[in-house]
Amino acid sequence: MLLVLLVVVVLNFLMLHLAPGDIADTIAQTMGGADEQDMAELRKQYGLDQPFFIQLFNYVVRVALLDFGHSHFYNLPVFDLIMERFPATLLLVFSAQILSLFVGILLGVYAAQNPNGLSSLFVNMFSLFGYAAPVFWTGILLLIAFSLHIPIFPVSGMRDITIESGNFFVHFFDVLRHLFLPMITLASIFFAYYSRLCRASMLEVLGADFVRTAKAKGLSKKDVLLKHALKNSLSPVITFAGLSFSAVVSGAILVETVYSWPGLGTLAFNSIISRDTPVLLGILIFSTLMVTVGNLLTDLTLKALDPRIKI
Amino acid sequence: MLENEEIEEPTIKPVKEIFQTFFKSYSAVTGLIILIGIAVMGFIGPLFYPTDPFDMVWMPFSPPGADGFLLGTDYLGRDILSQIINGARVSIAIGFSAALVSCFIGVGIGSFAGFYGGWVEETLMRITEFFQVLPTLLFAMVIVALFGSSVLSITLAIGAVSWASVARITRSEFLRIKELDFVLASRSSGSNNMALIFRVILPNAAAPIIVQSALLVGAAITFEAGLAFLGLSDPNVISWGQVIGSNRVYILDATYTVTFPGVAIFITVLAISLVGDGLNDALNPKLRSR
Amino acid sequence: MNKHFLKTLLLTATLIFTSLGVSFAEPKKGGTLIAAVGNSPRHLNPAVQSGIVTGFPGAQLFATPIRYDNNWEPQPYLAESWEISDGGKTVRLNLVKDAVFHDGVPIKSSDVKFSLETIKKNHPFKTMFAPVVSVETPDEHTAILKLSSPHPALMLAMSSQLMAIIPEHVYGDGQDPKTHPQNSENVVGSGPFKLVEFKSGEHIILERFDDFFIDGRPYLDKMVLKIIKDPATRTIGLENGEIDFYAFENVARNIVRLKKNDNLTVTPDGYAAIGPIDWLAFNTKTGKTADVNVRRAIAYAIDRNFILKAIMLGVADEARTGIHPGSPFYEPNVEPYNLDIDKANKILDDAGYKKGSDGMRFGLTVDFGWPGLKPNAEYTKAALKKIGIDVTVRASADFPTWAKTVSNHNFDLTWDTVFNWGDPVIGVHRTYQTSNIKKGVIWSNTQQYSNPKVDAIMEKAGVENDMDKRKALYSELQKMLANDLPVYWTNTLPYHTIYSKKVGNPPMGIWATSSPMDMTYIKD
Repeated sequence: MLLVLLVVVVLNFLMLHLAPGDIADTIAQTMGGADEQDMAELRKQYGLDQPFFIQLFNYVVRVALLDFGHSHFYNLPVFDLIMERFPATLLLVFSAQILSLFVGILLGVYAAQNPNGLSSLFVNMFSLFGYAAPVFWTGILLLIAFSLHIPIFPVSGMRDITIESGNFFVHFFDVLRHLFLPMITLASIFFAYYSRLCRASMLEVLGADFVRTAKAKGLSKKDVLLKHALKNSLSPVITFAGLSFSAVVSGAILVETVYSWPGLGTLAFNSIISRDTPVLLGILIFSTLMVTVGNLLTDLTLKALDPRIKI
Repeated sequence: MLENEEIEEPTIKPVKEIFQTFFKSYSAVTGLIILIGIAVMGFIGPLFYPTDPFDMVWMPFSPPGADGFLLGTDYLGRDILSQIINGARVSIAIGFSAALVSCFIGVGIGSFAGFYGGWVEETLMRITEFFQVLPTLLFAMVIVALFGSSVLSITLAIGAVSWASVARITRSEFLRIKELDFVLASRSSGSNNMALIFRVILPNAAAPIIVQSALLVGAAITFEAGLAFLGLSDPNVISWGQVIGSNRVYILDATYTVTFPGVAIFITVLAISLVGDGLNDALNPKLRSR
Repeated sequence: MNKHFLKTLLLTATLIFTSLGVSFAEPKKGGTLIAAVGNSPRHLNPAVQSGIVTGFPGAQLFATPIRYDNNWEPQPYLAESWEISDGGKTVRLNLVKDAVFHDGVPIKSSDVKFSLETIKKNHPFKTMFAPVVSVETPDEHTAILKLSSPHPALMLAMSSQLMAIIPEHVYGDGQDPKTHPQNSENVVGSGPFKLVEFKSGEHIILERFDDFFIDGRPYLDKMVLKIIKDPATRTIGLENGEIDFYAFENVARNIVRLKKNDNLTVTPDGYAAIGPIDWLAFNTKTGKTADVNVRRAIAYAIDRNFILKAIMLGVADEARTGIHPGSPFYEPNVEPYNLDIDKANKILDDAGYKKGSDGMRFGLTVDFGWPGLKPNAEYTKAALKKIGIDVTVRASADFPTWAKTVSNHNFDLTWDTVFNWGDPVIGVHRTYQTSNIKKGVIWSNTQQYSNPKVDAIMEKAGVENDMDKRKALYSELQKMLANDLPVYWTNTLPYHTIYSKKVGNPPMGIWATSSPMDMTYIKD
């Protein structure tokens, strides 16, 4: 994991170096321009006059000390900015992932009971819709439908800041109301993957010997389905869920932009417009970390499901 | 040993059989027909519908069907039908070339890792693993933002971040196939490593790689649309994503300007995934569950 | 029938009352205004940061010496009175006696001196206070500005967000004011509202400052500025009542749409001093556009009416020169370059740019300064095709990249929106002065246009105290510029303010939300 992070950091640095224009350029332009002398001073201030490897070394050391540099647009340490936005993204990503797993498995189980029937076809088509439709497009359509035409959900943000008093539950439901559409939109991409995977592995397991034995022993259909078949078919689904964490984070960037969700995605979008490269690279490092942790959690879940698995 | 050889050697199914399986599946055939239709539309369509997608032909925001424009006009009075037709070419071209780039990188890394093993495999798979945890869209955003939004940089960016799955599949196929008898046989007959990798093993590993690459085309089209939605697109070419991205501001009143290109992407990606499923069933029935 | 009658009656009554200048109800105290802002400010200190995004919260947090009414007349604010003497070279400000900063420390003349010096040193608008040589502080409530030459722009430069009075005991602690940590948090201001919370990219919460120096103001208890970048999201928010107020809307489609909404008022009033103009700038030094014939041909080929009607949907005004039509100095009687493709082709033919076999004469690139101008750039591509110029649209993913390209003069054509900022000396001269050709500085004379006669007129107009003479000078300037055409001006950016019916006294002066909203209130 540490190695992965080190690679990200070095890669980041390389990209910064290869890209046309440097930080001094950007700062100068954001502030309204600068002449040659100011530029030289800025370059010195940011250590851009040092040799390549010294700069690289300095960068790595700073990142290791959790110093991702300074946002020249927001005029704040990148780390602070990221920490401020991180919880929102975490909430969105994990809730969407859990929702898509839950719905996906449900659909998969449902379809597996009657693999060639109409319901199976329906499940297949439904989940494929989410897979094939661009996620921001789904988001826009949902937003128009449920915030404009049938205004039951708020258009943007994560909470209603005008609610001042109120206990925990008031705030909780407020966030939940804001979360609903972004979560559904993001989860919709993955219904297809999980439901099809679940259906396939269910079918495989249902044909296996031990399930037949269970059936023969006279267990009810429901018991067979849930206790034996589902449990054994969960592993591939969860393994895949772990692998798709990076795709969830990617999707979250688009979904956040559509719904103005105050997370790392909108921050990344803003950083692109203002060419706030330190922030952009900080987010890249951080989201890689997030995916890595997500993978770790997946492994732990797998182990909990099946103690035979070694991590 | 002999027994093994009989089971394992014919990994490449006869072409005829592949076609038969593929064309037995209604959904796969439907997907293929749609895909061919879209490709024909993109490449030959402009001959029959010569309106230039960049020309302003009518008043802006003329709704679909009115004034003789089937899909209406956009914010500059440009014909959306023409944009969809011409956009098909660009979207599909970007999709295929990006998938091709991914395929090259993925097959290269996967085959070397699988073939040589040892520290080569260790290193290469570390890199692959790294690209698997990297949030791909974010990485591509960074590349395009830093190096400019031309069609080339967008294609390369998408290709450069999407190859990890190809590499993993290639590697596992290589690990399986390189121990098979016919490989050992040609190794002992003096073939060099490069010949073994590209002439002997790769053709036998092609099936799952082809399926995966087919799916990557669809993913790349959506990917390009996502970048365009964020404003990272080349304004000198019309792609579906670019149409969505630049009309995004007007969705409240002219939802159709976003709906139609969205539907185009949706149908194309759906068709590709149907074809992918069909190919999967036809090429490797054993891996049906994947 | 009955209902209709009542509505008519009400409308008539409203018309009568408003025409009499009688306000409907006394402003009510209390309440929260939920406003949207389209962008996250870098920070909240307008003394070291220009732009309308910082201006909105900045003008609430910080007071300025004077303010302007709707008719371009200066009014007392932090300075209760002022005297101009010595032919405009001495300006004496008499400050309000009991004004305090948000931390309770009295506002003194030394703070005015400190603020002006900080602004002069750090603010990008160098012309604002350039002639100010020194600030004398004979006592705590008097500041005397000494100028090297008369400077008619000074009054505007002391209003709005341009001369925020910042506390010396906070921002004078030796840190660089441009990156001072208290620009974003724990802001100690002098204005009607104080900062509660600033979450970049999310919201800014402001609260009534109880010890504000104008008794009984502000009326509002609280202002919540939600940062919403997406125009569609903002529009939905206004429509379903989540947002009460949004200024600086410039998406024509949304303006047209919201105008149809009975619960909302949509108005273009209040932006005269901001003075945003959309224009197509030329590189007058290098490439084909160095030839004035090419520039004129391009101007004739671009249909200003198309931009006004089709892109701006009729909500923007025509701008024929570099001075905003809302300004008293605007001169509409210049060559307008109305669409004339034949003339454009003839000019190019006569100038020796022959069409090739493909019907094209030569190629040019067009850039654009921000995403809202992308349609203009795309339109330019289509329009210039008709006169045989092959245009490539160059997209910069971000502002700094564009600014770098243009400020280093690596462009042929670029669309841009530039603000007048009240007085021509602040926002207009910079575009055409030979002395302001500064490589690397955006919104300088990036066209590299140079005409000694133009320079001379601007120099004269900048120090002319007589309004009529000044107007005549600027009229001449605009005619000369239209002839040389370093820039082809097309239209005003259609800034509109949108507010719900429950908002009373929205800022309708010349500075829009870059002015204090101490008189705004929420009706029942």
